[in-house]
Amino acid sequence: MHMEPATFPFLSAILLSCVVGMLTIMVIPEERHVLIKQVSIFFSGVCLLLTLYVFFAFNRSLGGLQFVEQVSWIPTLGISYFNAVDGFSLPNLLLTGIVFFTGVLTMWELNTRVKEYFALYFLLVTGVFGLFMSMDLFFIFVWYDVSLFPMYLLIAIWGTTRKEYGAMKLTLYLLAGSALILPAIIFLWAKSGLNTFSFVSLMHPGMFSPADQKFAFLLLFLGFGILAAVWPMHTWSPDGHVAAPHGVSMVHAGVLMKIGSFGVLRVAIMLCPLGWIYWAKSMAVLAVIGIIYGALVGLRQTDLKYVIGYSSVSHMGVVGLGLSTVTVAGLNGAVFQMFAHGIMTALLFSSVGYIYDRTHTKLIPELGGLSRIMPVASAFFILAALAGVGLPGLANFWGELLVFLAAFKVYPLFGVIGVVTLVITALFMLRVVQKTFYGPANARFAGLPDVSPWLGTPRIILAAVLLILGLYPSLLFNVIRTASVPFMNGLPR
Amino acid sequence: MNWITEGPEIFYFGASLWFLLLTFAAPQKPVSNGGRRREYLSAILLASVGILVCLASVRAEGWLFIRAYSVDLFSQVFKTLLSLGLFLIVSLCGSISDIDERRHNEFYFLLFSCTLALMLLVSADHLLSIYLSLELSSYSLYILVALRKRRALGLEAGIKYFLTGSFAAAVMLFGMALLYSSCGTAYLPDMAKVLPGLISRPTVIMGLLFTLGGFFFKLAVFPFHSWAPDAYQGASNQVAGYIATASKVAAIAVVLRVLASAGHGSAYLVHVLVILSVVSMTLGNLAAIVQKDLKRLLAFSTTAHSGYVLIALLVLDPAGYSAAIFYALALLVMKFTVFMVIVELAPDGRNLQIEELAGLHKRSPIMALALLVALFSLAGIPPTVGFTGKFLIFTAAIQKGYVALVIIAMINVVISLYYYLLVIKAAYLLEPAEALPPLLVSFPKKLLAGFSIVGIVVAGFFPYWLIQIANAAVLPLFGGR
Repeated sequence: MHMEPATFPFLSAILLSCVVGMLTIMVIPEERHVLIKQVSIFFSGVCLLLTLYVFFAFNRSLGGLQFVEQVSWIPTLGISYFNAVDGFSLPNLLLTGIVFFTGVLTMWELNTRVKEYFALYFLLVTGVFGLFMSMDLFFIFVWYDVSLFPMYLLIAIWGTTRKEYGAMKLTLYLLAGSALILPAIIFLWAKSGLNTFSFVSLMHPGMFSPADQKFAFLLLFLGFGILAAVWPMHTWSPDGHVAAPHGVSMVHAGVLMKIGSFGVLRVAIMLCPLGWIYWAKSMAVLAVIGIIYGALVGLRQTDLKYVIGYSSVSHMGVVGLGLSTVTVAGLNGAVFQMFAHGIMTALLFSSVGYIYDRTHTKLIPELGGLSRIMPVASAFFILAALAGVGLPGLANFWGELLVFLAAFKVYPLFGVIGVVTLVITALFMLRVVQKTFYGPANARFAGLPDVSPWLGTPRIILAAVLLILGLYPSLLFNVIRTASVPFMNGLPR
Repeated sequence: MNWITEGPEIFYFGASLWFLLLTFAAPQKPVSNGGRRREYLSAILLASVGILVCLASVRAEGWLFIRAYSVDLFSQVFKTLLSLGLFLIVSLCGSISDIDERRHNEFYFLLFSCTLALMLLVSADHLLSIYLSLELSSYSLYILVALRKRRALGLEAGIKYFLTGSFAAAVMLFGMALLYSSCGTAYLPDMAKVLPGLISRPTVIMGLLFTLGGFFFKLAVFPFHSWAPDAYQGASNQVAGYIATASKVAAIAVVLRVLASAGHGSAYLVHVLVILSVVSMTLGNLAAIVQKDLKRLLAFSTTAHSGYVLIALLVLDPAGYSAAIFYALALLVMKFTVFMVIVELAPDGRNLQIEELAGLHKRSPIMALALLVALFSLAGIPPTVGFTGKFLIFTAAIQKGYVALVIIAMINVVISLYYYLLVIKAAYLLEPAEALPPLLVSFPKKLLAGFSIVGIVVAGFFPYWLIQIANAAVLPLFGGR
């Protein structure tokens, strides 16, 4: 694999600006809310600029690993601090940067325990960034856990609707996932006999015997799959989504679930390709059940956030289906869908957040006719919902298109089922839009203000990204292709 | 004989004598009347000098008492840990209101002599010297537990602890006799030569297991754990902290020494240890879930942690032993930090219920943060020293093929997270029924809390230096230098 060393440690700089941001927030007195938020915007903005730079500076014709930084960490166990980006991680890095920044802006109106909120939020995002850029299995696990444990407090303190239950359920489920991942990672380390956790050294065809690959893949797929809300391990996700505060829901559905699918791709699939091929069919079955199940359950929900939560289960099923096709198109589509879904759900939660902060309800029957009261706020939600339906011209269309094209070739039946389910998804998304934003306006909310330009900024950014990628998808595909094509070519057949 | 070789032992012996002499001195004015806290100040001074003495002698090597007592890097590393543990616990004794003021001299005397005994224990290289030092430390602890002002609680716990403890000691003595009769020697280095050949004999396995049983009592491994919740609950907070930290560290050391002499062990031995480990983890974690008293919860979590330590031990190779040493350090720091918060929150020395933590995040942010970090570390969440310790244990175990055992352990980690989260929830989420005033934490305590937080995180994130020390400390057990 081609490795391009970094001229300047941009990736570490991203992590460092998160950590420095967190420490800065921690030393600011609790009462100075505005200052804390300004500092948060500054540091998350720095992160966003750095990720944008890395995204556009990535050499698309060279591919391979770029911005490589490697420092030996625990030589006796072969652990190194090893950061790099490739075509798979780069979209996710950018996604994290965007959602992080917009998530801070979305929480601009937070008033309770502001300091702790932003400190924990920065810690959470540090873990997410670290996971996407790390090329060492030990650090991948460390970052995985770092991105999980702040969730408990973030949901339990600032959440709504059965928050303690949701927080506990989410934390235990996700850590149950890590209970499978850690043994699998150490198992691969022990079996390789190389005494290294470096991803690059372990990723050679024939490194592990087929039996070992099948075993390790199963553990890794189940472990990361919990986080990706693979059916039937998804139940934490709607509860967690609903309970979390809006900014956290954004990061959670937008980025954290991508950690799961990214982990499946990066660790399980890339290290155990034979295990992947062996289990692919089972993965596809689970993915399709997830697509149908999410859509059907979503149809019956009355809580806006539950609707989004179950649509996430359905959309993540699309990612899973793409990963299970074992084709270049499937991988491309899956990674694209991860990005598109991340932006889309972030926009949905951000819009719902605005509406909830004004109306103090997210129950669909109590809302209604909102588009007359706050047309701009409604427009953001409707745009995101249309993206979720897969409307051409918005980013999600391309991800779903590629995944289903690949699925038609490999699993014709599942492909058909998946596309039929898209109709159900469209039905339930449009039902929500119709009931919430059209129809008679609820007089109770008549005097509520619409989104001001400043509060609208995060939603504008997210909506713009959806549109840009919908019209110009090769911006992302050119990047993903640099990783997916060489990987599939190197696959043992 | 070089003085520096025996430096720590001589120093702590002298320190114990000093407190014994203080008991003869004229009683001083009580603190409430403006009296100076002579015992406390001298204790903290002696304990901090003790760390320096241990550090100075860390490279010492030698033998004593016709080789029944060996000073090597292994023992010196553990002595340093013990001196650190004593210092930390003594630093919590600034306002030890739960021990009668007239008994403070005795309290410190017993604390120092117990530390001395534990130091002798980690150096003991002969079954008899192991037994003697183990009993010396146990007897100090029995009295320390019973010394509590709340008589009923303390005495009940002390007697329970004493009865089960003496039973465990009897079992251990029987095991030692069996070992001696089979090996014909009681020197551990000599046993290491003959044991691997005899290991499949029933008497040897029985002997080894019974002997280990005595140490498992100290570690609170199932089925020798029943004393722990009562003793933790009955003892004053500081003494419970001492039992949870220093005493555990020494117990890990002595198990390491004895097991190292068994070579690669036998299938029977390993099977028994696997079962004990699994049951200890599971039982400890499940029992901890329902606890309302924070100290009882910690006692059961100790049993669970001993289960994790057993995984490192039953691997029976240097990687596992070095992981156990690292974990001993981790346990020391994590448990201490939790006890520090307990002592801060219960200045009158009462037992702390979990719900009493309510509102801690407002009353004292730094203590709440220390509790948060320590509990996450106990649960094994990175980047903390507790995670790194577990990671080392699991790598050692999987390298030997114990994948299923590690998966069971990881599932237990998830179970344990549940009750740690309940405690964290109490500290960060719950609001007290009536508003409580902010906690006045003195500057040294804040400093101590800050150091604990930084220590737990830094030792977890940059562990290489500590791992190297642990690796080097294991070498003497295998005859290496």
